[in-house]
Amino acid sequence: MTPRSNGMWVVVLSFLVAYLLAIVPFPEWAMHYRPQWVMLVLIYWIMALPYRIGIGSAWMAGIFTDILEGSMLGIHALTFAVLAYITLSVHQRLRLFSSLQQSGIVLALVGLVMTGTYWIKVMTAQTAPGGMLFLLGALSSAFVWPWLFMFLRQLRRGFDIR
Amino acid sequence: MALALALMYVDSRFAYLDRVRFTMAYLTTPVYWVADTPARVSAWIDDVFVSQRDLLEENTELRQQLLFAQRELQLLAGLASENSRLRELQEASQAVQGRVMTAEIINVSNDPGSRRVLINRGAHNGVFEGQALLDAHGLMGQVEEVLPFTSWVLLITDSRHGTPVQVNRNGERAIARGGRADAPGLELEFVPDTADIVVGDLLVSSGLGQRFPKDYPVARVTSVVHDPGQPFALIRARPLAQMDRTRHVMLVLPDNEAIMGAPVIFDSGSSGSDSLTAPADVSEDVAPAAELPAPEILQGDAP
Repeated sequence: MTPRSNGMWVVVLSFLVAYLLAIVPFPEWAMHYRPQWVMLVLIYWIMALPYRIGIGSAWMAGIFTDILEGSMLGIHALTFAVLAYITLSVHQRLRLFSSLQQSGIVLALVGLVMTGTYWIKVMTAQTAPGGMLFLLGALSSAFVWPWLFMFLRQLRRGFDIR
Repeated sequence: MALALALMYVDSRFAYLDRVRFTMAYLTTPVYWVADTPARVSAWIDDVFVSQRDLLEENTELRQQLLFAQRELQLLAGLASENSRLRELQEASQAVQGRVMTAEIINVSNDPGSRRVLINRGAHNGVFEGQALLDAHGLMGQVEEVLPFTSWVLLITDSRHGTPVQVNRNGERAIARGGRADAPGLELEFVPDTADIVVGDLLVSSGLGQRFPKDYPVARVTSVVHDPGQPFALIRARPLAQMDRTRHVMLVLPDNEAIMGAPVIFDSGSSGSDSLTAPADVSEDVAPAAELPAPEILQGDAP
């Protein structure tokens, strides 16, 4: 199958919106609950268009996140690439799952990536070692996943992106 | 993968990538600009849709505040001249009163483990690494990373940041480190049990370490615990700056002569430029060992 390269701007736009949502200021108490929008959008597009969005795109998205957050270059590039690899290897199964099962997988994936990022940050002394509260972000990500999934699927069908 | 690992290594060890980061920031600035739009729009709406009565009220209130402020300023002028005369007698260098540049906080770091904010002034406005940030109430932090139009500021409540302070009442010196607890606060490190610090004491920046200007209010002591099992007293303080409420902040511009007040004995002569070229040691463990000796050395002739 040779896919037409169409609708790339929709993909890029969805990523931009995800970045915006990722940095919009949150109140202090809700910091831990911020869903990982960029990862969710990445998982969706890898699942939907595995032949177009892959490890390379994930790497680029990660680098952009690094620059946006001012974190050490490469942290998110590395972890997003791992995320993309795992998602790519299970995307066939992922498509068949019910939304609840998908949420479970998303919880595991995002949790894994966040833990990896956290470990690297602690190892390089960029953040203070604290509790595991940051994993609440994975929980909220899994919670918003079904809605995000439906929304992005509508978007994809509406613009007929293949 | 390998590329990412290599990037991480290079970025953590060398400074080559600073330029890349700096250039790439031209790309990310618009994202922050858009993310900040709601706040600006709401501020604009506040500005536009105010009744005249509210404006008048606010005006009179501000006028009163100005009057008070001016009265205090007059007193201050007298004190300042007296102070400078005394300093001349002591042949000590002039403390900073300095000019400031206003800035606005446009974002906060979304990493709960670090306390950093993004301000809307960058290299194009003359911001440099290590510059001190204040708000109307006290010291807030220092510039950690300069980007073209924005800069990241490490707040004094970050657990990797240490601020050299002294008690305003008696000049007792200490290092105030960002609290490791969830609530933003400061902890005084390595203070002996016998130190004369009580609840309610005002902590001001001591100017040691040559990063922060001298005598800016930093925090107020909220609890002092003398635990016989601990080698040092446990002292907590609450920063005076409104870390998570304020939006308007100030960057301190250095004077050409000595930035800091206290004369530093171990390297005189390179006071201003030294603080600029010194690598940002904030990212690693603040090295209390490097900053602590200063009070010991100065102990002899400072009082």
